[in-house]
Amino acid sequence: MTAINVATESPALQNEQMRPGQTSPRLALPTVLFLVATIAVPIAITFVYSFLSTADIGTGVKWDFTLSAYRHLFVQDKLDGTTAFDTRYVKVIWNSFVYSAITTVVTLILSLPIAMWIATRAESARNFLVAAVTLPFWISILIRTYGLRQLIDDNGPVGGVFHRLGLDYHIIYTPTATVIGLIYVFLPFMILPIYASAERFDFSLAEAGYDLGAKRMTVFRKIVLPSIRPGIISGIALVFIPALGSFLQSDMLGGGKANMIANVIANQFGQSRNWPFGCALSVLLIGLTVLFVQIIRGISARSGDQVNLV
Amino acid sequence: MTSSYLAISNIKKSFNTPEGGTVHALDDVTLDIQSGEFFVMLGPSGCGKTTLLRSIAGLEYPDSGVITLDGQRIDDIPAYNRPVNTVFQSYALFPHMTVAQNIAFGLEMEKLDKAEITSRVGLALEQVKLAGYEKRKSSQLSGGQAQRVALARALAKKPKVLLLDEPLSALDLKLRRGMQIELKRLQQETGITFVFVTHDQEEAMSMGDRIAVFNSGKVVQLDTPREIYRRPVNSFVADFIGETNLLDGVAGTDGITLPGGGMLLRSQVAEDCAIPDSGAITVAIRPEDFEITDTHGAITGTVRDSIFTGDTVRIHVTVTPEVEVAVSLPSYGARIPDRGEKVSLSPSGNSARTVAS
Amino acid sequence: MGSKMRHRASAIAAIAAVLALSACGSSSSDGASSGAFPTAGTGEVHVYNWTDYIDPEQLKAFTAETGIKVVLDTFDSNETLLAKLQAGATGYDVVVPSDYMVAQMVELNLLQKVDVAGFPNGKNIKPNLMDVYWDKGRQYSAPWMYGTTGIACNTVDPNCAKITSWKDWFTIGAPKMDSLKDQVEVVSAALRATGVAAADLCTTDKSKYLAAQNLLDGFKPAVIDSDSGIERVIAGTSNIRQAWNGSAHRMKAKVPTVEYIYPKEGLNLWADNLVIPVGAPNLDNAKIFINWMMDPKNAAAESNFTGYDNGITGSDAFMAADLKSDPAVIMPADKVALATPTPNCSKEARDLYTQVFTTWTTGQ
Repeated sequence: MTAINVATESPALQNEQMRPGQTSPRLALPTVLFLVATIAVPIAITFVYSFLSTADIGTGVKWDFTLSAYRHLFVQDKLDGTTAFDTRYVKVIWNSFVYSAITTVVTLILSLPIAMWIATRAESARNFLVAAVTLPFWISILIRTYGLRQLIDDNGPVGGVFHRLGLDYHIIYTPTATVIGLIYVFLPFMILPIYASAERFDFSLAEAGYDLGAKRMTVFRKIVLPSIRPGIISGIALVFIPALGSFLQSDMLGGGKANMIANVIANQFGQSRNWPFGCALSVLLIGLTVLFVQIIRGISARSGDQVNLV
Repeated sequence: MTSSYLAISNIKKSFNTPEGGTVHALDDVTLDIQSGEFFVMLGPSGCGKTTLLRSIAGLEYPDSGVITLDGQRIDDIPAYNRPVNTVFQSYALFPHMTVAQNIAFGLEMEKLDKAEITSRVGLALEQVKLAGYEKRKSSQLSGGQAQRVALARALAKKPKVLLLDEPLSALDLKLRRGMQIELKRLQQETGITFVFVTHDQEEAMSMGDRIAVFNSGKVVQLDTPREIYRRPVNSFVADFIGETNLLDGVAGTDGITLPGGGMLLRSQVAEDCAIPDSGAITVAIRPEDFEITDTHGAITGTVRDSIFTGDTVRIHVTVTPEVEVAVSLPSYGARIPDRGEKVSLSPSGNSARTVAS
Repeated sequence: MGSKMRHRASAIAAIAAVLALSACGSSSSDGASSGAFPTAGTGEVHVYNWTDYIDPEQLKAFTAETGIKVVLDTFDSNETLLAKLQAGATGYDVVVPSDYMVAQMVELNLLQKVDVAGFPNGKNIKPNLMDVYWDKGRQYSAPWMYGTTGIACNTVDPNCAKITSWKDWFTIGAPKMDSLKDQVEVVSAALRATGVAAADLCTTDKSKYLAAQNLLDGFKPAVIDSDSGIERVIAGTSNIRQAWNGSAHRMKAKVPTVEYIYPKEGLNLWADNLVIPVGAPNLDNAKIFINWMMDPKNAAAESNFTGYDNGITGSDAFMAADLKSDPAVIMPADKVALATPTPNCSKEARDLYTQVFTTWTTGQ
């Protein structure tokens, strides 16, 4: 924000006195330019391309304005010559939504006890445990997902259990595997913000609740939970929104069936060579993301919590 | 005074320190607190007073001993079922709730009906002079207001005993004085038994009906403020309660030889204090009990400095290179000696006391 | 998607005949060959190839012989390669597109016309791979590996005996079936299964695609993936796979009961090529590299590594025995007629392929 002011108001700033510890807003300029080049410009390109036509040959776009990519999202010109409402992409978006929602709920349920537990350890143990939670970040997500695939593969230590029991049940290459992959990857993003809230929690509040006649579960529900709500909301935002656009888990664990929106988008830039449609799907995904950010913001504003989003 | 209401018998509690040692936070404490009493537990930090308060509240479980309240044993009842409530040092107001919700919380736990809760919340706020603050968020309150809400929250539960854990320590001096008076008033109005923990002896003196002085996990003296001030049982109490000059003397048949060679006559020592015929003995004389005598005082020395504090003048008198005494003189009336002047001091009447060390 | 792990192997020259435009016997000596052909160089050659599709030992040998260091980078689909070249200034000297992609790249002016046939080893190009539809007279491209896309089946599964056609493949509904994730391969197989002739695979008749889509509606393989096939067959979790013949060969090496099925409606024959993109920074080194790879001994070494046949005359002599005796690689005489080139369709037909493929993958 500050940096955008620099661009427009820099003459006025020259006379302003700088307080100690303040740096010149001009120092932020390279970063702003970098962000504009890597975020704003690609989004603008995506937006513009979504209104163009596919190239006659090769990849890319042809500069013919059309809304057909957007029409294509919801209307299908069927092979028998009729047109109909196209449920395919709505279904894929719905799948993405459901998988992300399940991921969010499961990571939340898993994170609450572990985050509370870490928050109540001695400081040295806390630091160690937080480092342990962040340990997966040290390893490439691709390699971790490969590792998970080995684990839940039909011959893996976990996936193979059904096989050895003689059951015809498979985890790998199912939506379940996709969701397991999402939970696995996003769990730390739920634990850390909840932990950060829980660590600041004043346990005398819990004692006060206990003292005023509330049993343990009531204390947790009515006092602890509302107090760590900012962390929970941050966690939900940090898990749900990226999960919605995730690609790798569905691709590597879901059996390559275009189960999530990002996989369909990737197909448009690869096999299908339909960039405008890929861009239209991306614009839709961006729109959904903004919508969910606004919803989460709305919830957090209503509850009066300080949650930093976007 | 009625018979014992809150009876604490032989409570022991020890903690393991990180270094591997054991600390006896409570070392066989027995106390009887009477109904409707404003009872103060006083002592330096780490003396065990807060641990005892938390044991009464049920937030801490003693290793052994029994606590009964109104004839019923309570030490094995969980905190949420004990008919006592606590005002925490940090207030512990629920930040996500309004003032009214904070106060109503404990009443909702009792499953009272809505109308009853509303009226009790209103009454509690009136008691602490915060009527009209129902809708405020607790983050919008000043320290003094938060303190009152914490008080109202506990009082609304109509506890048999209200426990207050250094509730005024975070307030500035002026506010603290005001709250002291108000707490005393509230206690008298409601008739609830207050157990008040503090490390501030002045606060203890001004509020307590009785004071238990704690040191190292034990109750060293239990009495009225006046008695504790006038008759400290040992040098710790004498020193901790108010200001006292503790002087190492040697007993003889005539009296006690004090540092610097002066003689404290037996007649200058309180009648209830026994003086042996020989041996070392500690004498306690409060600064305001000294008067300047012409000659042959019990203590002779040189005025090092003199400080005017309004109603009194404090002077420090160097007796020997190691011993100095503080003297408090009324600012009007008696002559104030100058710096460097040689003075002779004696306790007025029989105000000197001997104390166990 | 669809990272094609190109372990393809292929048949002998007989198959390659199908790829050639037999009508055109064009000569190979127009174009811009200028001066003596370089034989040694300095510096580097930047090669962009499919994943796991070139023998690293051979690259070392190349460097030892020519003094040119090879920098290798890999891609996973023709589309990735095309997108990269179209973006321009890639820094690659040699890239490896498939047949139809060469044709498109030529049309898009992305390739250098270097007269590959005129290279010293150009004479080694198998005659029937000389006048292919994507590069008549081999002006732009040197042949690399080629092969077919059929069905690999582990015969411990009784269903194998029941599969002789694409129609069987799509309708048998057996467990442990895996499909490639490749639009052209899946949709063209479905078209063949519904009675579309090989010559008509680029039809724009929507009713034909509707029939193919209806067939695909009922086809639910366990996995749609071009990756990890071999491991799954070895593990026994996949028995019936749409597969490149080279993959089948490699599976067979680990699981001897695997057989390669030539579906009776016919199957796609594809051929990969070495080409030099416009703007290649080390043109001479690229030429040396391509010429070196057209040496029969070197071409055979690559076949031994990849499991596919190559387009160089005389390489058979250096090929491994198990490769030469595998009916997946060496197409039996009665199957030769089944193989037809991978269709290179118009945009209109391609869009119909996309529509059918998308409906299928999103309907899983």
